[in-house]
Amino acid sequence: MKANKQMTERSFNIDALVEDLAPVKPIKAMPTLLTLAAIAVVALFAISFMRDFRTDLLTGQPTAMFLMRAGMLALLGGATAFSVLAMAQPSVGKHNNSWQIAVAFAALFPLGGIIAIMTGDNTLAIASMASVYRCLGFSAITAFATAIPMVMSLRRGAPTNPERAGWLTGVAAGGMGAFAYSFYCPFDSLAYTGVWFTLSVAISAVAGRLIVPSLIRW
Amino acid sequence: MKSNEESLRGLMQLAQKGDKAAYSTLLTEAGRWLSRFYAQKIAAHEIDDLVQDTLMSVHRKLSSYDPSRPFLPWLAAIARFRWVDRLRKTYKHEASALDFDVAEDGHEDVVGAKISIDRLLGQLPENQAEVIRLTKIEGHSVSETCARTGQSESLVKVNVHRGLKKLSALIESE
Repeated sequence: MKANKQMTERSFNIDALVEDLAPVKPIKAMPTLLTLAAIAVVALFAISFMRDFRTDLLTGQPTAMFLMRAGMLALLGGATAFSVLAMAQPSVGKHNNSWQIAVAFAALFPLGGIIAIMTGDNTLAIASMASVYRCLGFSAITAFATAIPMVMSLRRGAPTNPERAGWLTGVAAGGMGAFAYSFYCPFDSLAYTGVWFTLSVAISAVAGRLIVPSLIRW
Repeated sequence: MKSNEESLRGLMQLAQKGDKAAYSTLLTEAGRWLSRFYAQKIAAHEIDDLVQDTLMSVHRKLSSYDPSRPFLPWLAAIARFRWVDRLRKTYKHEASALDFDVAEDGHEDVVGAKISIDRLLGQLPENQAEVIRLTKIEGHSVSETCARTGQSESLVKVNVHRGLKKLSALIESE
């Protein structure tokens, strides 16, 4: 009797869901990835026009540190964003671990920064606090802008690990924010990059972990 | 009819295009699959409720299914999330109310095997797995569990508490 009642309730529920069905477009990661790339490009031009372009870029001869830093941050932001967007489409047994490789490579910068400081790199002492605030502030604004499309995609999807999605959204957004700022940042030292760029990404990651999960629960 | 991956995937692709007949069949078959899936994981009287919750989630999150991928792993991910959610809510309100029933007619397929309760318990420390197995699966009281394991009452409670917390984290990371 109870089983019959349950079956009836479930049938009723299914009928209601069927009645409510409307065509849906499956989520695609590529449009969001392109949006993120566009935001990062707009942001890097915005800061460079507001302040100044790096002279090495204007002369077409970027320094090795600039290339390594920008490349690493692009890899960190892009690979982690890809993992975030994959989390919107869950599947048991499907693992997108590209973010782990990117984070492992990016960790070389803070390690290198510590070694550089210990071996006499004094850029941190030379750099003004105004430049540090500019670095952190501009990176944070860009990170916020890039986090919005990722959160929207996660809200539309079905992330099954909201805490990890929060961390990764923060890392991806922080990576892209720091990437955009690196086109203006006048400091090429490993100490400066290892400390302030890392802090910028770390702050964004913590903010992502604290803010994003409550926005994407379903 | 026993659900199979290929037919469910075809039905889901039609459902995403708005085909109501296909969707009705899909939800019925998915409901059966979910009942077997949850039979290994929660008390029998909670299964129907959880199946309905999961079907509602499936309905709300239709666009999160990628038609180029298999259907059952997607359904299992949704089901697991709803299960963990239920686990957390019950655990928050009253840890002792949690109940894992052993399925009499268990359906163990590839997806199910990935998140089987035995395999998950195997990843917990022995003292936590043992008390969860005794209290939540075999249905022994705390005092009986104390007598069997030699742990004090407070230690049993702590181990159940910590074990369940770790269990939910393990399920999510699978």
